[in-house]
Amino acid sequence: MNSLLVLINKELVQMKRDYKIIWLPLVFIFLGATQPVVMYYLPAIIKAIGGGQGITIDSSMVQQEGGQIMAATLGSQFDQLGMMIIIVSVMGVIQTDKESGMLAFILTRPVSVAAYIWGKVISNYIIIILSVSCGFIVAFLYARYLFSSVQLTSVLASLFIYFVWVLFMVTFTSMISTIFNSQGIIALISIVFLLLNRMLVGVHPVLDMLNPAGMSNHAMELLSTGSAVNSLYGNLLITMLWVLVTLGISYYWITQKKFH
Amino acid sequence: MRLEIKNVSKRFKQKNAVSEFSMELETGQCVGLIGPNGAGKSTLIKIIADVFRADEGEVLLDGQRISNMKREIGYLPQYPNFFPWMTAKETLLFMGQLSGISKQKLLEKVPVVLEKVGLTGEGNVKVQTFSGGMRQRLGIAQAILHTPAFIVMDEPVSALDPIGRREVLNLIREIKKETTILLSTHILSDAEEICERFVIMKNGKKIKDTTITELLNRNTRGPVSLEIAPKDLQWIQSARELSFVKKIEVKGSKVEFTLEYPQKQKNMLLKNALNCDVDILRFEEDGRKTLEDIFLKLVVEE
Repeated sequence: MNSLLVLINKELVQMKRDYKIIWLPLVFIFLGATQPVVMYYLPAIIKAIGGGQGITIDSSMVQQEGGQIMAATLGSQFDQLGMMIIIVSVMGVIQTDKESGMLAFILTRPVSVAAYIWGKVISNYIIIILSVSCGFIVAFLYARYLFSSVQLTSVLASLFIYFVWVLFMVTFTSMISTIFNSQGIIALISIVFLLLNRMLVGVHPVLDMLNPAGMSNHAMELLSTGSAVNSLYGNLLITMLWVLVTLGISYYWITQKKFH
Repeated sequence: MRLEIKNVSKRFKQKNAVSEFSMELETGQCVGLIGPNGAGKSTLIKIIADVFRADEGEVLLDGQRISNMKREIGYLPQYPNFFPWMTAKETLLFMGQLSGISKQKLLEKVPVVLEKVGLTGEGNVKVQTFSGGMRQRLGIAQAILHTPAFIVMDEPVSALDPIGRREVLNLIREIKKETTILLSTHILSDAEEICERFVIMKNGKKIKDTTITELLNRNTRGPVSLEIAPKDLQWIQSARELSFVKKIEVKGSKVEFTLEYPQKQKNMLLKNALNCDVDILRFEEDGRKTLEDIFLKLVVEE
């Protein structure tokens, strides 16, 4: 337990020295502001560049609700550019330690492999959910100011649901980082796999149940309609299982010393 | 403390790195693991430090598996790598805490250890800027920080310049007084200088396990060598006939005689040479064989 705290502390100090603790929240704040602001100014932008003369009836130009704007923030900002940034910030966590020999070195100390993995996952998860929260709060404030207010409870509930999907992204990328040795490969596999998961949402109900990215969709649903779908709990449980599986594989990989 | 290595084998894809290696180590010993490059020294050390897992066999410390006794082991890798963004002090605090020492205790201990390895002034400097020698000393500092019963070092001086080498050797000699040390090296004179016992490895196997006293005793009488003028080289033929000469080796103008009882017979040999009017340039009795001679004999000739 003590070594877990030491390892988490070390990661947090490293993030401070790398300024990750500054740039990661800033990126998400920027992403969070983008959707509401762009949507708000869209008519003006279209007018300025398109010069739509005469009368145009555009069915997509319906009055948007704040909740829909926030749901779109998750779907079009956080789950695309945001996901890639999460992957890039996590892809090296274990790979760099393997490469420099620090992983083997740390494990010559009385440190359990579980403490090592948890230290990496927890510290990175903390900084990422803090960043996502910052971005989400900014999106909420803009949506409220520029569109309509959203119920605070559904904002919080959807944020927590989204955190589960973030957890999967972190543990999955850590697992790939444990198994593969090249950062390029790690980034490629993680981005392709996680984007594929996100794109497959809504294809088939059974698939949705098994898909960790379903959590993101549930969060969006909650924001735009104000209520959650029943399949949320099943999906939540299965996503948590996936998280345990990815952690288990990382654990197995390191205890069997396959990382050399 | 008692370290037992029992029939350890480790295979990599292409080859056997270590095969059926066994040895025991008692408290207070300083053992040099020597062998040519690729003999499996590093692999063995990594198995002892529990970095690699042995395919077969086991390493026991006081009868317990080494993986449960990490608290009692200090490990210095061949190329100690640290987090470049940490300062020397932070590195030691981090490694020490991982060994289960409380922060308060470490705050007292770290300056003492830094002084011991000669890094007092560099405590707050980032490891990034450290030279190879400083890194090595920091590596030693982290290995002795938690006062382990046993320290393993992988080539502690091989990568250093002569000054750094001297410093680190002196440092190891200091540490030796307090702990048991196993170190690997291919620089034989270093091993000879600080170790009392040597284990020679070749192709993953132990080929010799000897102590410095054993070496001294066995080889107090080396061969007798004569350096003679080239014109008298034919005398060697007649010297071969002498009953007490066991073996003759010609190395250029130097002739080495292995005698049964060198003390008594060297003068008889000399007399014979004088009788035959051999032009003697030099006559000497070789002292004890150095570790290097034994090493070369075992590793190269066999």
